[in-house]
Amino acid sequence: MERAGKASVTHRLYGLLEQIAPPLVSVVIALAISSLIIWVVGYDPVRAFSALFDGAFGGPRQIGETMLRSTPLIFTGLAVAYGFRAGLFNIGAEGQLFMGGLVAAWLGVALAGLPTMVIVPIILVAGAAAGMAWAFIPALLKARVGAHEVITTMMFTFIARYIVSWLVTGPLKAPGQIPQTVQLPAESMLPKFTDILPELGTGRAHLGFVVGIALAVVVWWVLKHTTLGYEARAVGFNPWASETGGISVSLTTVKSLCLSGALAATAGVTEVIGLHGRLFDQFSAGFGFTGIAVALLARNNPLAVIMTAMLFGALSAGSGTMQLQADVPSKVVFIIQGLVVFLVAAQQLAVWLLRPFKARGGVENA
Amino acid sequence: MLSDILSPDVFAAAMRIATPLALAAIGGTICERAGVVNIALEGMMLFGAFVGVIAVTYAGNPWVGVFAAAAAGASLALMHAFASVTLKTDQVVSGTAINILAGGLTGFFMEVIIGHPGTTDPVPRLVPVFDFPVPSAGFFAPMWRWIDVIFLSHTPIVYGTILFAIVAHWALFHTRWGLRLRALGEHPRAADTVGISVVRGRYSAVLFSGVLAGLAGANLTLEQVGSFTEGMTNGRGFIALAANIFGRWTPGGSYGAALLFGFAEALQTKLQLLRDVITIPSQFFLMLPYVLTVVVLAGVVGRAVAPAAVGKPYEKG
Amino acid sequence: MDAALLEVREVTKRFPGVLANDKVSMSLESGEIVALLGENGAGKSTLMNVVYGLLSPDGGELYYEGHPVKVRSPRHAIDLGIGMVHQHFMLVEPLTVTENIVLGNEPTKIAGVIDFSTARKAVAEISKRYGLAVDPDAVIRDLSVGMQQRVEILKALYRGAKILILDEPTAVLTPQEVRELFKVVRSLVDEGLAVVFITHKLEEVMAVADRVVVMRDGRVVGEARPSETDMAGLARMMVGRDVVFRVEKKPSVRGETILEVDGLEVLDERRLEAVRGMSFDVCAGEVVALAGVSGNGQTELVEALTGLRRPAAGSVRLSGKDITHASARQSIEAGVSHVPEDRHRRGMVLEFDLAENMILGDHRLEPFSRHGVMKPTEIARVTEERVAAYDVRTPSIRVLGGALSGGNQQKLVLARELGRDPKLLIAAQPTRGLDVGAIEFVHQQILAERDSGKGVLLVSLELEEVQGLADRILVVYEGRIVKEFAAGEASDEDLGLYMTGGGGDKFAESTEVSVKGLGT
Repeated sequence: MERAGKASVTHRLYGLLEQIAPPLVSVVIALAISSLIIWVVGYDPVRAFSALFDGAFGGPRQIGETMLRSTPLIFTGLAVAYGFRAGLFNIGAEGQLFMGGLVAAWLGVALAGLPTMVIVPIILVAGAAAGMAWAFIPALLKARVGAHEVITTMMFTFIARYIVSWLVTGPLKAPGQIPQTVQLPAESMLPKFTDILPELGTGRAHLGFVVGIALAVVVWWVLKHTTLGYEARAVGFNPWASETGGISVSLTTVKSLCLSGALAATAGVTEVIGLHGRLFDQFSAGFGFTGIAVALLARNNPLAVIMTAMLFGALSAGSGTMQLQADVPSKVVFIIQGLVVFLVAAQQLAVWLLRPFKARGGVENA
Repeated sequence: MLSDILSPDVFAAAMRIATPLALAAIGGTICERAGVVNIALEGMMLFGAFVGVIAVTYAGNPWVGVFAAAAAGASLALMHAFASVTLKTDQVVSGTAINILAGGLTGFFMEVIIGHPGTTDPVPRLVPVFDFPVPSAGFFAPMWRWIDVIFLSHTPIVYGTILFAIVAHWALFHTRWGLRLRALGEHPRAADTVGISVVRGRYSAVLFSGVLAGLAGANLTLEQVGSFTEGMTNGRGFIALAANIFGRWTPGGSYGAALLFGFAEALQTKLQLLRDVITIPSQFFLMLPYVLTVVVLAGVVGRAVAPAAVGKPYEKG
Repeated sequence: MDAALLEVREVTKRFPGVLANDKVSMSLESGEIVALLGENGAGKSTLMNVVYGLLSPDGGELYYEGHPVKVRSPRHAIDLGIGMVHQHFMLVEPLTVTENIVLGNEPTKIAGVIDFSTARKAVAEISKRYGLAVDPDAVIRDLSVGMQQRVEILKALYRGAKILILDEPTAVLTPQEVRELFKVVRSLVDEGLAVVFITHKLEEVMAVADRVVVMRDGRVVGEARPSETDMAGLARMMVGRDVVFRVEKKPSVRGETILEVDGLEVLDERRLEAVRGMSFDVCAGEVVALAGVSGNGQTELVEALTGLRRPAAGSVRLSGKDITHASARQSIEAGVSHVPEDRHRRGMVLEFDLAENMILGDHRLEPFSRHGVMKPTEIARVTEERVAAYDVRTPSIRVLGGALSGGNQQKLVLARELGRDPKLLIAAQPTRGLDVGAIEFVHQQILAERDSGKGVLLVSLELEEVQGLADRILVVYEGRIVKEFAAGEASDEDLGLYMTGGGGDKFAESTEVSVKGLGT
């Protein structure tokens, strides 16, 4: 028994390595390809990436910025990952995020006067509920008529954007020229790290980051240790066997997509009550879509989502510095993102590239 | 007022708006008939729209832009084909990657080439094919105006799309290409065992859909708008997928569904002009195509049957 | 003397961990029917897939009309004149008969436009020549299985096949359709074709083959002419030992009624009536077997009894409690265990490890979870116990279900379904695709369950299994129970007769119509 235990430790370490290596390689290749693009276009990739690194990790303020940018990505990454685990592709996390942000901007004002300890949890829960509601119709359509969630949640994203656009230009518009809602009172805001410990010097980073990490652990636990997560995974892998095992596939689909929506909406909530303090048209830099890259790179593992969200957060935080110092357009980050998703998805690429070598050595193996 | 709304320009606008949707939808049809899901239509369209404009910026001739756009769509399609056919990647994920990538590439190169984000300067557009002098007086003048506006006012890709939809629809059911395509998406192994190459068939279908999506982008920038704006496809690739489903995986049906979307949007623009009469915020009109897509999908999906092998990588042996 | 039409010399084919073909040699002449006999996994299909170019061999040669050939692809095989009808038909369901037949070899006018009138004429001509009547404009999915098989044969003939390989062609057919098929095959060889007939059924070999090649464990172990041997001799060659056709079992001790089914009607996916008023019961301590040809309502019945499909009419009671409209979950909790016919699709989650698979269906119940929180130690403990008790061979319970062999997967499913101590076990084709050892184990477990006072409903297509295990046999045909036999009361022939609608006067006239209704 003892020996078996030891063997399984190395076995598990090896397994872990096997899990981590491909995403790492994907990131490296994606960075290499983008360096090539940067170089071909006429910039200095070394300068670009060292500026990027500086911007992301150069000091406490920069690290704070990375944490800040990672925060919404943890939530959207978790949202997409949870969906994937249940066999659902929540491509519309962005829309649910908008609804979360909307509710936060509204309640932050409506509940003004109450203590932060009361307001913030209420906003978080209500925002999540809004995301859940926003995912409900696509979820229902998926469960009932099989309408593909990729199309429906995408459409709901556009609808959400227009709703927010209408509200910030109309009913919820703050006085003045700019289409945005009024500034939230201080008590409705998530504290910044520097509010608690000023000497940290982490700039705009706020407690949403901690909420994100906590939620990642919760999602991991739900997937691994609850019947809710068990059923979601079962349906994601094999709906027929799940049905035979007494699991309602449609109910699980609805629950899972709604839960995913709730997680995505939290990103919108923390952006509003952690960073901007108000709602406006462009308050999300496509966090819902970056969440897809975050989730895939993490292989839908909630704990790994923290790491991959930080990677993309760092890219985003550093890209501004890169643009300033090396002149390279910050949008290169989206090229990296697209490449990472592509390369992670195309796990077979390595096998395919190594094919000529495998074929030669294959006979002995068989 | 009704005559204002149902004026000939609404019908003409419907056809114009339907064109990029129809091209992408037919692309989706061909791709899915071969067994590959292509949610990257959005990105291919965007990339085509961008590359088209850039090509015209340098070459001056809009036709050069059209070809460049088609090639741009095809280049991303090649990526998708490589991932989904050769590497047997999850097709939806590969498509998503390409959509993100297209957004990144267009945004990045916009700043590199044009020098600023947002919108490019206007470029020369393709002009309408026909230019008849329309009699402004006389008994037949009003009718002539209708015909002229609805049928004779369009640019080349608009006509090309109608023609193509008809030909592709007929070809799907009457030619060797069509028969083999249908077999590929339903039962690739059956096709393989009678000597039809699944790999070649799927590659060419995906590439074809990329060309069509690229042309859809060319229509947007080089016929309709005359310049490129970041993210300007605005979900059209996804609406096109819905149109393809609504059209039951046929080119003719796809065109019809696209026309329906086009009509809804044309009406919406028209109604917006009457804002003084109807006080509804513009955003609600702008939402309409997306709401319509969901409604259409909700109503039709259960009854329409997708090709059996769609989305499944083909494993030989 | 001329060279053989096809000669296979020392062909070897390896799969990871398996030597599927080990220096196999055989030959084939024009105008003969060769049966390739062997158990599941003996390497018959692998060999023929090599011949047909679907697999490339790791060693050995093929000679076609005396010339060495390397068959690169099915297309190449077709060009050579080799046609194959696969076990799973290679037909495109939404296309018509003609479209399927010409696919890949379409007669065209200019610019790739298919000349459908020429195509239709060609199809009509071949089907007349070989006596294979079929409507050229029918859509495949509307055809019966027997008809679809005809289309497959026509497909090969259209391409000018000189050799026709039939892979387990009778598995899906009714006895009448089998007779028809044999007639067709005979007429094909009379026209000069050579036919290879892959099977594991001895009677078929005796009925149709001119020569039989027996395979076991990837090797050819013998060759004979049916006229010069007998079934027992062939069986010995095939299995490598004397075959025991009967399972040892104690007499049944019947207890109270467990399952009562009354006037049950169930619709299939296409909303056609698949189960048309079945009434029967299953008592404690007995195995009731439902015998019938595939597609006569068995699948729908089992789904209705296990809560996977809503019955249209009638009632189901378990120990007196009404479970007609119970969900799958309620059905499990009421005490119905279900070994599904499709292990990979319904039986288990291949991506789950053994422990996760072991609790599927009971995951909401104690001791596996409480208030929605799982209890990993309990789950692991029970899994270890059951894995040992049911002899599931695995290095660890953390191994994924998909990594197990078919036999071990089925043991896992049995361990789960029996481990929860049900009142009733519904086992649908529980030994499909298993090797001899695993089959024996499954049979023992089913009988053990019976002997411990449970009710067992066995759905099987294998008469041997039905005869060996059942205390009572219900014969189903077209969604009805057409006959009941006590154990040992009926011969295989009797069962076969009723299974095909030939038994009573009442069903005699429906035989003609029935062929159409036997779709998948």
